[in-house]
Amino acid sequence: MGTSEGPDTGLPRYPGTAVPRTDGAAVVVRGLRKKFGTKEAVAGIDLEIAAGSLAGLVGPNGAGKTTSLSMMTGLLRPDEGQILINGINVWRDPPAAKAAIGVVPAEVRLFDRLSGEELLEYSGRLRGLPADQARERATQLLDVLDLAGDARRLVADYSTGMRKKAALGCALIHNPPVLFLDEPLEGVDPVSGDVIRRLLARFAASGSTVLFSSHVMELVEQVCDHVSIIDKGKILVTGTIDEVRGGKTLQRAFIDRVGPRATDKEVLSWLGSSSS
Amino acid sequence: MARLLVQLKLRMLLNALRSSNAAKTSFIISSTFAVLLAIGTFLLLATFRGNSTSVELTAVVFTVFAFGWLLAPILIFGVDGTLDPATLALYPLRTRPLAAGLLAASFTGFWPIANVLGLLGVTVGLASGVLGIVIAVVAVVLEVLFCIALSRFVTTSLAGLLRSRRGRDLAAFLIIPLFALYEFFTQVVPKAVSEGKITSASFSGFDSWMRWLPPGLAAHAIQDAADGQLGLAFARLGGLAAVTIVFVWLWVRALGRALVTADTTTQSSRVRGTKLPLAGLGLRGAIFARFWLYQLREPLSLVYWALIAVVTAAVSASSVFGQKHHPGVILASAVFGVAFVGILHANSAGLTGPAFVLEATALGSKRDLRAYFSGQNLVLCVIGVPLIVAVCFGLAAAVGDLSMGIQATPVVLAGIGAALGLCDLFSAALPYPMTRRVGNPLPVPASGYAGYRLGGLIVLAGTGVLAAPAIAGAVLAANEPDVIRIGVLLPCAAVYGFVLATIGVRMGAKIAEHQLPEMCQVALRTAT
Repeated sequence: MGTSEGPDTGLPRYPGTAVPRTDGAAVVVRGLRKKFGTKEAVAGIDLEIAAGSLAGLVGPNGAGKTTSLSMMTGLLRPDEGQILINGINVWRDPPAAKAAIGVVPAEVRLFDRLSGEELLEYSGRLRGLPADQARERATQLLDVLDLAGDARRLVADYSTGMRKKAALGCALIHNPPVLFLDEPLEGVDPVSGDVIRRLLARFAASGSTVLFSSHVMELVEQVCDHVSIIDKGKILVTGTIDEVRGGKTLQRAFIDRVGPRATDKEVLSWLGSSSS
Repeated sequence: MARLLVQLKLRMLLNALRSSNAAKTSFIISSTFAVLLAIGTFLLLATFRGNSTSVELTAVVFTVFAFGWLLAPILIFGVDGTLDPATLALYPLRTRPLAAGLLAASFTGFWPIANVLGLLGVTVGLASGVLGIVIAVVAVVLEVLFCIALSRFVTTSLAGLLRSRRGRDLAAFLIIPLFALYEFFTQVVPKAVSEGKITSASFSGFDSWMRWLPPGLAAHAIQDAADGQLGLAFARLGGLAAVTIVFVWLWVRALGRALVTADTTTQSSRVRGTKLPLAGLGLRGAIFARFWLYQLREPLSLVYWALIAVVTAAVSASSVFGQKHHPGVILASAVFGVAFVGILHANSAGLTGPAFVLEATALGSKRDLRAYFSGQNLVLCVIGVPLIVAVCFGLAAAVGDLSMGIQATPVVLAGIGAALGLCDLFSAALPYPMTRRVGNPLPVPASGYAGYRLGGLIVLAGTGVLAAPAIAGAVLAANEPDVIRIGVLLPCAAVYGFVLATIGVRMGAKIAEHQLPEMCQVALRTAT
């Protein structure tokens, strides 16, 4: 389990985010529930993410990943439950909790009439950084994220991968102790994906905590040290990668836990070059 | 192919009917308007019978329809899946049958049929004799075919552009002249007609050049047949058919090109400045900077400001263009202008869209939210006050009494404070998701939230009521020396407006502190 005194990430640290932690857990979730009408999207989640870990939350589409992350980051009010980020109750003291986190939502929608450079500076200034410092960090982040050449282009003209990287820059500019990412590599090309992966690993190695959701098992297996499988709004299993996969691939372990969704046996008999 | 695409169009119309109650209502309203258009056009054309300028008037109506066909697909691009050739590009289709199919699909639906039926009013208004009626029917069919070919050619040629950000921006700007034209026809034309400034003879000058355009050829062919000049009538119809064939040929070529050409969505633009302004003003300065750049760069913001200018001018238009100038109307212009600044911005989360989440993850305390609302208000003031005061002075100059502009200025200063205060209150208390609907390049409240527009009426009425002291002051001081009107009334109105805005900001922030997650959900449900 890492600490905040770990190796330097190369990114400047924001002193205002030095907040207390509880029992070495950066994120503590207890009895989290959310209903939309009659559908229970999150049906009582308990989760603990150790500080300094890079944790994955995996599940099939509609399992409750985005809803859970939205509640953990103060963007969606839960029906029940408690969420602590570094010991701060998210729903009792939202400003303090928000100061301690960075968020990259699933559908990255940014201020697309700003240039990449302006967007990151704006994000930094929103987080209370002095303008000069925000500008300096924006330049450094754009450089690390391989966006320096496009810094003065409008975000509206960015590709999906570039938007994800810009959103990651916005989430990191205040150097938060805890980072939440919802499907960070969805629609991202392998080169941009590699840039994001390396940055996340470097960030977590410094003692910061990362929790991200994904349904790409290979990615979680490569990047994360901890993983939780969620389905139908409940955590089915949680632990280190090795504990969860139990000698199998994570993909196999995941399917065994969640169960196959459908069968194609004898239905598509016409499909294939041997048929007409 | 033609049958398949007609079936596709019918299926899409039926699916739209089944999708939701809102879609059903929209379809019923649209169909009702189509029927009303058909009846209205038929009756209008029929009333031209016996008029000495009936052929000129008919040519004007035919030309207006051609412009309608030209503009409508640009504004409603996406309403009809058969309109965009890119949706069919993956299928192994030959260009000619595809063109025939798309042309047939164009005739399907309430609006094309309403067009044909409406224009058949010429059989009563202009045609004469059995042969004349036959020629009139042929002319109407050729006119509608020409409209469709023209519209298809333009749409197909612009298809790549209209899918791009710049193209959509361009379409949004088209709303400004359309809105100005609407205001002109509802405010100025009735007044001019009632005062005898516009008569049917006013259109005679247009005919010298309009008769050679395709819609004019159709109208004059009917007139020629009625005059017994059948040869000339056939020649004109032949000319119209030839032009139509040329447009169909151009369209087929454009279609062939569009099927193998990438769209222009990746066109990029660079910004000149490197720094956000107002670095020293903390969070308020950051919000101001972002919102200010959006007012300059986002077409929707520019469109809103243009609409505010048009509304401000239109309220006094009947007075300016009429013979009697009532001094009160420019004060009314000032109140409507500032109220519209509030009305159009009274849904901060919905207007910002999903990007609001980026701000919401940083804003938490009441103090942050006060900075958020006041930063935005500052931008709206910096643009809104000079704009509305300038329009008021323009109106005052048009009626030849600049002192009416001076009289309106304190009303603008007090009114903008009231409007922005109410705007912040509604932004926090009644946020609603916005959506972009086909047929309208401007965002509108999402399905189920149309009632929230009532908030606009409250902002309008509230602005009027709260600005009443400034209005009363302006009227009472109308004959006072400038030192009173400018030296006393203006600062008092500015302070009063500032107090109203500050109250709105504080109340808005207090509500938003507890409403922020709900505002985020509204922002995320907004389609941009």
